[in-house]
Amino acid sequence: MVNNDRVRIMTKLAIYEGKEGKEDIHLSKYYKVDYVRYEMIKSIIFATLSYVIICGLIIFYRSEYIIKNALSLDYKSIGMTALAYYIILITIYGAGSAIFYSYKYDRSRKKLGRYYKLLRRLNNIYKEETPEA
Amino acid sequence: MMPLLVFRERVKNFYQKYEIYLIPVFKFMFALASFLVINKEIGYDARLRSIPIVLAISLLCAFTPSAIMILLAALVVVLHVYCVSKFLAIMVVLLLLIIYLLFARFTPRLGYVLFAIPILYFIKIPFMIPILLGLISTPIAIVPTACGIFIYYILQVIKTAVMQQTTSVEDILKTYTNVIDNLVGNKQLIMTVVIFALILLVVYYVKRMKVDYAFEFSIAAGALTSILGFLVCDFILDQTDQILYMIVGTIISTGIVYGIHFFKLTLDYSGAEYVQFEDDVYYYYVKAVPKITVTAPQMKIKHINVKNSVHGLSKNGFHKQDLVEEDLIDEVEIKLETVENTEDNDKS
Repeated sequence: MVNNDRVRIMTKLAIYEGKEGKEDIHLSKYYKVDYVRYEMIKSIIFATLSYVIICGLIIFYRSEYIIKNALSLDYKSIGMTALAYYIILITIYGAGSAIFYSYKYDRSRKKLGRYYKLLRRLNNIYKEETPEA
Repeated sequence: MMPLLVFRERVKNFYQKYEIYLIPVFKFMFALASFLVINKEIGYDARLRSIPIVLAISLLCAFTPSAIMILLAALVVVLHVYCVSKFLAIMVVLLLLIIYLLFARFTPRLGYVLFAIPILYFIKIPFMIPILLGLISTPIAIVPTACGIFIYYILQVIKTAVMQQTTSVEDILKTYTNVIDNLVGNKQLIMTVVIFALILLVVYYVKRMKVDYAFEFSIAAGALTSILGFLVCDFILDQTDQILYMIVGTIISTGIVYGIHFFKLTLDYSGAEYVQFEDDVYYYYVKAVPKITVTAPQMKIKHINVKNSVHGLSKNGFHKQDLVEEDLIDEVEIKLETVENTEDNDKS
């Protein structure tokens, strides 16, 4: 016979699993440190890629000047300045994404807490229904 | 007010009944409007401008996630620009890529804001976005809002840049320098980003205040911030001819946001869920319909007249609390009388 309480809980669980639960359950496979570190590396890679594009745009913007003064340019100081900006950018991005993703992880754990509570209730209903051998 | 509330209930019921059909219809209409506006503003490619193509793309957007629509919109923009200048198309791709890699990837759920802002700019009511996002989102929405403003200005600059001839390498370099100068040194762009961020924050924090009508106050505060901010901006940039358009646009935007807020319950309503699952014995195909609770307006009458309560009104069974309050009033009146009496006695 269909147990109404069980169906109710299972429906709630299925709705959660089908929507926001997807991401939360995916996050639960990681430890917080691993997840935040993984996202930080991704952010740094993306920031590096955008920095390369921005540098390319700047070089093209200044191309006339660069061609004219190709021999007299102080490449060492330009390189050091570019490196300094790069370090600032990835530091900001690294720190920013660490805060952002750690907050996101904590929030998903809270929601998962409610999900596990419902799962435990479902488990109890099953235990009550099934007579012990 | 009552007919409006009844209308809202009707809309809610209608939405619940036909939700499966209504969502694709809304998505289709939004996509159609977006592509028509893009075509009107930068529609250089006649093939993409043709109605069957626009309808086909909009239909595709109606049945796919919103991310697909954003991707298609970006693709259409790039293809239009590619039709007139390959070089400018590459530039647009690179700029969109920077926006995505640095900012937009943090807020994937608010991706639609990126294209909603340029579209609303073209129909002159961009001010509704920060007010609306302040109501329904968090301050993180500043990121996609700023990206959306940037995309609008990219399109504006590209629109003027395509007028220039780009036959030789020198022309290309000149056009490129112009585009970058117009974007980086654009004071209006920076001011707009700051003002939009300010509006969003004001709306967000006023909304969170624990006062009655906080939502309505927050909308009004947002509108006021918008008008004041853009007034200052227009005076600094000496664009006084824009003031009327800005005020009218803000008022219309505020009206629309208020309308959205009024129907908020309908919009928030998550709709029926169709889920499938199984256990050891059964397969379940469940349709879960959320309960709609209509709260009838309650009228509370507090009687403070002692004589009425003694003679007639007690029959109607009013609350004990009222009786207690009346007793207190009695006590206070008696005390006052005694004080007056003693004062009279003292005088005499």
